[in-house]
Amino acid sequence: MAVALDTWSGWRALSRRDERPLPPDATDGELLVRVGQRDCEAFELLYHRYVRPVLGLALRRLRDRQRAEDAAQETFAAVWRSAANYRPERGPAAPWLYAVARNAMIDRLRARAETPSDAPDLASTEPSPADHADPSFVAWRVHRALEELPDREREVIELAYWGELSQREVAEQLHLPLSTVKTRTRTALAQLAAIMDGELA
Amino acid sequence: MRRVPDFDELVGDSLPPDERERLQRMHDLLVLTGPPPQLSPRTEAGPTLLMRLGRSRRQLRRGAALLAAAVATLLLAFLGGFIAGHRGGNERAVGQLIRLAGTREAPTALAALWIAPSGSAGNWPMQLFERGLPQLPQGGLYEVYLVRKGRLYASCGSFLVTSRARAVSVSLNAPYRPRRGDTWVVTREHAQRDGHDASTIVLHPTT
Repeated sequence: MAVALDTWSGWRALSRRDERPLPPDATDGELLVRVGQRDCEAFELLYHRYVRPVLGLALRRLRDRQRAEDAAQETFAAVWRSAANYRPERGPAAPWLYAVARNAMIDRLRARAETPSDAPDLASTEPSPADHADPSFVAWRVHRALEELPDREREVIELAYWGELSQREVAEQLHLPLSTVKTRTRTALAQLAAIMDGELA
Repeated sequence: MRRVPDFDELVGDSLPPDERERLQRMHDLLVLTGPPPQLSPRTEAGPTLLMRLGRSRRQLRRGAALLAAAVATLLLAFLGGFIAGHRGGNERAVGQLIRLAGTREAPTALAALWIAPSGSAGNWPMQLFERGLPQLPQGGLYEVYLVRKGRLYASCGSFLVTSRARAVSVSLNAPYRPRRGDTWVVTREHAQRDGHDASTIVLHPTT
């Protein structure tokens, strides 16, 4: 009898229900449905799309790097556990994921207060109207939208907004003509606006 | 004070008014929200096996405490059964305890593997109690193998270690009929450069 030493890939193969290949432009909702079917590849993709928004939210709420990283880990564990409950017809994935993350942060805050923290992971997965106006939710959407940008466009946005460089300095930094930097910046802003308008279906 | 980029410098003055207004809103949101956080190497690396098990580290710690209590109960039951079995001369009916020691790969590690009596369906439940194995890099795991005729014959299950100082207790099962001379080892499973996994024995029987 042969021994299967390729344990992890064997587990991956067993865990996959939907055998169709993941399209590179799969929406968050499609990924979440696949995660609900225990698709590791979809989970990995979703993780990389959302790890910065999740960690950003955790840092704002918990104000402690280590606790925030732990909360981010718990968020993704909760996503893995609960993805099968996601119903695409009830709304896009981004607010659902935000609600899961928010509940993980609440759980963390309760743990810090040393009160029992056995609250269900998903007290509510429907963001309230107040959530939509919450600066944390706005930041969540902006950071998620940034993940959609091609690298070369995200780069000019990051340098201009958070690198505190002028357009001329960005051009020098990237060894690009100033006109190219300006075009990329404008295109990036337009793309971000389109993504935010589309609410990340 | 943070320098806010000049919107007019960013987009120029050739845009239609409605498009300009749309981009101005996006500009304001970027200024308002600030940069996304930098990821630590651990977070950057991607999802962990623990997440895919749907478990947080805190839940795992809670679970480990419960498991430790369960193992203590099991060992007490085993001890009682062992004594009763010796009195009655029926060793096979009460299972078997195998002590494992670390190889050169993990010289300070120790483990005890309790093999329960085989059930009528042919399942062979077992309980591993381990201490001293190091935590593995992301994606790595430990595996308990049945060894038959000197070769790794079949996996009985895998486990993770979160800290060298923290004892781990896991329930495993081997759906195989025991044979004379069978024994068990613990291996470290790790990916090689060519993408294949390799097994290295880290715990082996002391007798």
